[in-house]
Amino acid sequence: MHRFLAIFERDLRKFIRNPLVVAMSLLMPIIYLVILGNSFQGELKNLPVAVVDLDSGPYSRKIMELLAAVEAGPATLELVRVADQGFAMEGLRQGVFKAAIVIPGGFSRDVMRRRLSEVGLYLDNAETISAMTIRASVTAALSELRDEFVSIREERGEFRLRDMELYRKIDYDQTLIPGVVIMAIFLGAMTTGAFNMVMDKFLGVEESYFLTPLSKTDIVMGLIASGLLITTVLALVVLFLGSLMSGLFFWGGMTFMTFVLMLAVIVLSTLGLQGLMFMIMGRINHPRIVGVLGGFLNVILFFPSGAIYPIESFPGWLKAFAAVNPETYSVHAMRALLFKGAGLQAVQGDLVFLAVFAVFSVLFGMLAFKRAL
Amino acid sequence: MGNVKAIETVDLVKRYGTLTALGGVSLEVPEGEFFGLLGPNGAGKTTLIRILTTLLNPTSGTARVMGLDVVKESSNVRGLIGVVPQAMTSDLDLTGYETMDIYARFYGMHRAERRARIDELLDMVGLRDRAGDLVATYSGGMRRRLEIARGLVHKPSLLILDEPTIGLDPQSRHVVWELLERFRKADRLTILLTTHYMEEAESLCDRVAIIDYGKIVALDTVPGLKKAIPQKDSIELGVAGVDMDRAVEWVKKLPGVTSASFAESTLTVFSEHGAEAIPALMEGLRGIGGRVTKVTLKELSLEDVFIHYTGRPIREEEAKKVSFLLGAGVPSKWGK
Ligand SMILES: Nc1ncnc2c1ncn2[C@@H]1O[C@H](COP(=O)(O)OP(=O)(O)O)[C@@H](O)[C@H]1O
Ligand SMILES: [Mg+2]
Repeated sequence: MHRFLAIFERDLRKFIRNPLVVAMSLLMPIIYLVILGNSFQGELKNLPVAVVDLDSGPYSRKIMELLAAVEAGPATLELVRVADQGFAMEGLRQGVFKAAIVIPGGFSRDVMRRRLSEVGLYLDNAETISAMTIRASVTAALSELRDEFVSIREERGEFRLRDMELYRKIDYDQTLIPGVVIMAIFLGAMTTGAFNMVMDKFLGVEESYFLTPLSKTDIVMGLIASGLLITTVLALVVLFLGSLMSGLFFWGGMTFMTFVLMLAVIVLSTLGLQGLMFMIMGRINHPRIVGVLGGFLNVILFFPSGAIYPIESFPGWLKAFAAVNPETYSVHAMRALLFKGAGLQAVQGDLVFLAVFAVFSVLFGMLAFKRAL
Repeated sequence: MGNVKAIETVDLVKRYGTLTALGGVSLEVPEGEFFGLLGPNGAGKTTLIRILTTLLNPTSGTARVMGLDVVKESSNVRGLIGVVPQAMTSDLDLTGYETMDIYARFYGMHRAERRARIDELLDMVGLRDRAGDLVATYSGGMRRRLEIARGLVHKPSLLILDEPTIGLDPQSRHVVWELLERFRKADRLTILLTTHYMEEAESLCDRVAIIDYGKIVALDTVPGLKKAIPQKDSIELGVAGVDMDRAVEWVKKLPGVTSASFAESTLTVFSEHGAEAIPALMEGLRGIGGRVTKVTLKELSLEDVFIHYTGRPIREEEAKKVSFLLGAGVPSKWGK
């Protein structure tokens, strides 16, 4: 106990002696995301959309045809016909669907009787980019319907698409916050824990530790524990700062339970990444290599995490990678907790994955670490 | 006897690939001794120290420290020894006091115990006033003194120092020597020290082993080592007013003198104890009517002993191999 705490305390002392590192660890994720968020405008594909046809009349069939044309053509949407509206909404809540289109019963009749007829478009606006894409794509497809009305009938029922956002208003900057936080966690994990070990090796300090009764477990656990504390605090500060900047005052609507879950996501994500760093850097003895590897790892873990770009639009192989990427689960869980006010049920799958990942990565990280010169 | 040896190695071998760093070293160091390991760079001193301090496993042979096997009981061995490695290993981002305190906690020492011991040690090495400053602000000599104090924080029975004065200026070197003498008396320590400075081995050590190419070529007290080689102290005397042949014959009869010869007016005398022979020489030469104009004593040094056993003076260090592709940043196994 004593022994690993001594390493823990040493790391904390060293960390606060480097205020520049502290400042950079806080600023970098935020700046990174502001730049990234504003430079990303791609075309999305295969966004899963549930379609509920409660009408089954001529006009609803027409709508289905038009949507199917989008699916077959630009492939922005991937339609899933669902009979039950409740099922569609549940799928949307769980992130299985990015949107749900509901054609109400009597829609065709209303159109023919020139009454106000509305198709419901439910968007998962916690993911701004895909929500915007779906809205634009659906509106464009259905405008054809309107043109057809003009040519067929002189007087047509007023037809309008009204989209309903599922959650309270979230703007684009705010949807990036889970990404900002996972970036802070990554940078924290990269510059503490295993990195301190590499620096010890590089500076020759490590030899003096190996000469004492410190065990391998003492050393690795001490380094991970200090890295965990520092990174968790950094992530919370970044979450707070990012929220202030983007006007997402999450603490207003957040229950204590949700905050605890949020903390659990941050802690487990950090542990997993700390272990991963030990696995990768266990045998490296020059900080330059950590720099190169760190930049590389950041990119390959961050972009496929769904923080910026919806995973559904990835090609199969990248989707497969996203499915084993711990950051995917962190981002998914944080998004649910921050924007959807979700409870344990919505994030328990993520927590289980993150916990299992953390256990294995720390275990293998420990194996990779050699208590020898 | 029943007396545990502080260090005992039997036929210790360490190979790095094809290079034999230690080629069968057998040593015994009794408790309380100040033992020196003298050898040029690359002789295998650090390798031997690293085996004794459990950082490296030997390729073959056994080593015991305070009666414990360094491979099988490595963790217990580490608790009993204090080590000052060759390279500076103190953390620059910590203060002197923190360095000591954190290190003491690695040995499971309690707060009160730590505080008293650290104050005492920092006082002895003259760093009490600088204890609150970052190690980064220390000079090389101060850093070394701190590391010596750090090695003693848990009151080890055996202190091992690997070239403790390398890279220090002569003044700091003398300070380190004085410290070692004092610690030895205060704590009744056994000390193992490696060095490639003759003077260091000569002035500090009870016994010295000369190590070269991974083998011990001689082991004895410093006087014993000197006695064992044919060379002796030499005394050169400038002599006037006497027949040189007669003077040489006469000088050879003095006790302790092994041989004598002359060239022009200079008489060269070889003796077991040069300094002690001088008064008798002076008196004797005056007695036969001579006048001594000049005396030069060349005492036999460890350097002569070293040259005798190895056939050359201390050589330069060999360059360390570093990966051509990757620099110093990957495990050395990957490099070529
Ligand atoms: N890790 C290593 N890999 C390969 N060779 C080594 C290694 N460490 C030391 N050596 C070699 O072993 C020999 C002995 O080195 P060392 O014990 O450091 O000598 P000394 O401390 O007496 O200067 C040298 O030739 C050195 O190059
Ligand atoms: Mg050496």
